[in-house]
Amino acid sequence: MIYLDNAATTPMDPKIISSLQNDMHDQFANSGAVYGIGLDAKKKIDESTETITAALGIPASHNLVFTSGGTESNNLFIKGLCFPDKKTAYLGLEHPSITETLQSFKSFDNEPVSLLEYNKEGRLDLSCLPLLKEKRIRLLCLSHVNNELGTINDPVPLISKMITEAPQTRLFLDGVQAIGKVKLDKAMWSGLAGYSLSAHKFHGPKGIGLLIYDSRLKLNPQLHGGKQQFSVRAGTLPVPLIIALAESIKLATEQQEAAQNIIRNLQKYLLDGLKELEIPILINSPLNDHQSPAIVNFSFPPVEGEVMLHHLEEEEIYVGMGSACSAHSKEPSKILIGIGLTDEQARCSLRVSFSRHNTINEVEKFLNAFKEAYRKLLPTFIKRQIDR
Amino acid sequence: MNEKRTILIRYDEIGLKGRNRKYFEKTLLKNIKRSLPKDKGIEYRVPRGRILVDVPKSAVEVCTDQLKIIPGIASFSIGISVDPDFEKMAALGIQWIEPLLNTRDKLNFCVRTRRSAKTFPHTSPEINFEVGSRIMTQLSSKGLIVNIKESEFTLEIEIGINETIIFDNRHPGLCGLPVGSSGNVLCLLSGGIDSPVAAYLMACRGCRVHFVFFDNQPFLGRGGYEKVLKLAKSINRYQGRAKLFVVPFQDIQVAIRDHCREENRVVLYRRMMYRIADAIAKQFEMPGLVTGESLGQVASQTLENLAAVTCVTSMNILRPLIAMNKEGIIKYAKEIETYEVSIEPQPDCCSVFMPASPVTRGKIPILENDEERISLVELQEEAIRDMETINVDLL
Repeated sequence: MIYLDNAATTPMDPKIISSLQNDMHDQFANSGAVYGIGLDAKKKIDESTETITAALGIPASHNLVFTSGGTESNNLFIKGLCFPDKKTAYLGLEHPSITETLQSFKSFDNEPVSLLEYNKEGRLDLSCLPLLKEKRIRLLCLSHVNNELGTINDPVPLISKMITEAPQTRLFLDGVQAIGKVKLDKAMWSGLAGYSLSAHKFHGPKGIGLLIYDSRLKLNPQLHGGKQQFSVRAGTLPVPLIIALAESIKLATEQQEAAQNIIRNLQKYLLDGLKELEIPILINSPLNDHQSPAIVNFSFPPVEGEVMLHHLEEEEIYVGMGSACSAHSKEPSKILIGIGLTDEQARCSLRVSFSRHNTINEVEKFLNAFKEAYRKLLPTFIKRQIDR
Repeated sequence: MNEKRTILIRYDEIGLKGRNRKYFEKTLLKNIKRSLPKDKGIEYRVPRGRILVDVPKSAVEVCTDQLKIIPGIASFSIGISVDPDFEKMAALGIQWIEPLLNTRDKLNFCVRTRRSAKTFPHTSPEINFEVGSRIMTQLSSKGLIVNIKESEFTLEIEIGINETIIFDNRHPGLCGLPVGSSGNVLCLLSGGIDSPVAAYLMACRGCRVHFVFFDNQPFLGRGGYEKVLKLAKSINRYQGRAKLFVVPFQDIQVAIRDHCREENRVVLYRRMMYRIADAIAKQFEMPGLVTGESLGQVASQTLENLAAVTCVTSMNILRPLIAMNKEGIIKYAKEIETYEVSIEPQPDCCSVFMPASPVTRGKIPILENDEERISLVELQEEAIRDMETINVDLL
C-alpha cells in the first residue's frame, strides 16, 4: 500500500501505538480524583502539558485545552470568544470547521466578512488590514497551512502589521496541517489569540486535539459540566490520549527538520515527475516559500479526479481529492474555485500529501500508476468533450 | 408461574389454496423453523389450518421479532396455558388489558372462544359471556367497552381436550405467501430506494429473491458495493438463503460510451444489464427477473424504453412498483428499513457515463445498430466470467 493522503490523516507511529497501549492499561484513573492514582494521572497530564509547551515554545501567557480534535478546538475558540455578535473575518479558503462555525453566526445577524478578494495564491494579502479596522473586526480566522493547497499564511509578518494597522483585531490560526510539516516561529505566540491542532495529522491517535489560547481571553465553554481545564472544556480528561498527543508533538518537532528535508525531496521528485509525464497538468499549489511541501494539488482536465482516485486505488495507491464526479455530484471544492479554478479544473484535480514516512520509490510508483491510468482514461473523457 | 408459552400462527393466503395447500403449509413451517432459534427447546404442532409453537417464556421476544418478518403469516398470538376456570381466565385478561387503559380513555374489546373439547360443560358463547363479564366488572369504569365488530383487543380462548390456552391480542404478520413457494427470482439491485422495495414485495409473494449488482469500480469507489451488501443483507432477513451476484460493468460502460450514440447510452446500459441478468437467472434456474422500475419515474422508465429493455430477454419481468408513486415506494422503504441505507450519499453512476439528455423513446432498430459497434457477446461473457457470487446469509 502506498499512502499519499497524509493531509486527511496519518498512520500512527509504532512508538506511539505501543506506549498508548500500555497507558490504556495503566492510566485509567480519573485525573480529578484525590487519591494517589488520580494524582498520578494528574501528574501525567501536567508532564504532557510541559512537553507540549517546550516542544512548541508556547509562552506562559497561553493556556492549553485538550479537545477531541481540530474541529472541536476551532468551534470552541471561535464560538467561545465571538458568539453571537462579535465581528469576524476569514479568507474564505479555510476548513469547514472554521467556515461553517463562522457561518453559524449568520442566524444572529452577524455575517462573517469574507476576504476572498484579498486572496493571493491561496494566502491572505496583507493589504486587507485597513478593511479589518474599518469593519471593526474582532477576530480574524485563517489556516496556518491550507488543507487542500498547502499554502502558508505566515503569522509573524501578519501579526506585526496587524499591531499597527488593525490593532483591535485578534488572530486565530488553524494549525492542524502545520505541525511537523512547517517550522513554528516561537515569535508568533505573543500575537496569537488562539491556535488549534489535532494529533492524528502527525502520526498520533484520533480523538485528541489541542486548543492553545491567550489566557487573558475569556472563552465561554461549549460543553458544560465539571470544572476541568479552566472551566473552558468540561469532561474527564483522556489521560492516555493526552500522553500520546504530547509524544506525537515531541516526535514531530524533533524530527521536523529531517522530515522537512524528506518531504521537500518528495515534493520535488513529484513535481519534476509530473512535468516529465508530458500530460497537460496544472499545479494548483503555488511553488514558492509560502507553501508547505507536504501538499501538492494539481489538475489534469478532462480526466475527473474521482475517477483517477479510484483507478489509483486499484493499485493500492491512496491520494486525496477535494471534489467529486458522481452523477449526484457534490459541489466542486470551494477552495479550488476560491483561488480561481474553473469547475472542470477543480473537478479534475487530486491532492497528494506526504508524511516523513513516504519514500521516493512510492512517488515513482504513483507517477507510473497515474500515467497509466491517465492514458487509459483520456479517450473516454475526450469523447465526452466532443459529445458536449 | 407457567414458564411455557404457546404461539398461535395463522396463515394468510394459504388458507385459500386448494389441493396445493399442504405444499404451502410445509414451506411456511420450514421457513418458521429456519428462522426461530434452534437451541431453545421449541416444539411445533400443526393442527388443521394453523401452526402452534411451544416456546419457553424466555424465548418469546426473539420468536415474535422473527415471526413479524416471515412472509405468509397473517397474524400470530401469544398464549398461556391456564386451568379451565373462568376466574383464572378473566384474571389473565385483566392483567393484559389493564395497562392498555392507562394510556387511553376507552378500548373496544371482546372475547372469542374456540371449543374443541366438547366435554367442556359450557358452550363457546357462554364462555365468552362468563369471562367477558368478569373482565368488564373490573375494567368498565376505566373505559373498557364490549364491541365485537370493532374490537381493538380480542381475548381468544382455546379449550382443547388436554389444555386450555388464552391468547393475547393478534400481532399482524406480513401476509402474502411463504418464501420459496413461488420459486426463485433474480432482482436487479442498485443502491437506490426502489429496487430493495421491489425485492421485498416479491419475497412477500413467495419468491426467494436473489440479487445482481452491476459494479462501477474503479470508476467509482467501493462505497456503492458496500451499500448493496447492506441492502441485500437487509432484505434477506425476510427470506434467507439469497445469493448476490456482483458483475463488473465498467468495461461495458466504457465500450458503450465510446462507441454508441450518446443519447442512447442509458437504455443501452440497461439492455446489457437485462441480458446479463437473463443469463445468470437461466444458469441458476430462476424463472423471473425483478426490477424496481416505476413507469415514467425517470427517462429510462418510459413505456418505450421499458419495451426496449424487455425485448432483450425472454424471461418473466416482474415490476412490482410499476404503478406506484415515489412517496408510496419511500413509505415501504422506511418500513423495511432500507431507506436510510439507500439514501447514503454514495454515487451510483459516474457522470462521465451519463448523457447530457438521454433518449426518452428509444427506437429498437437504432439501439441494435448502436450495439453492432461493440463486441456485445464478448463483453457480456467476460463480465459473467469475472462476476463475484456472495452468499448473503454469511454477510
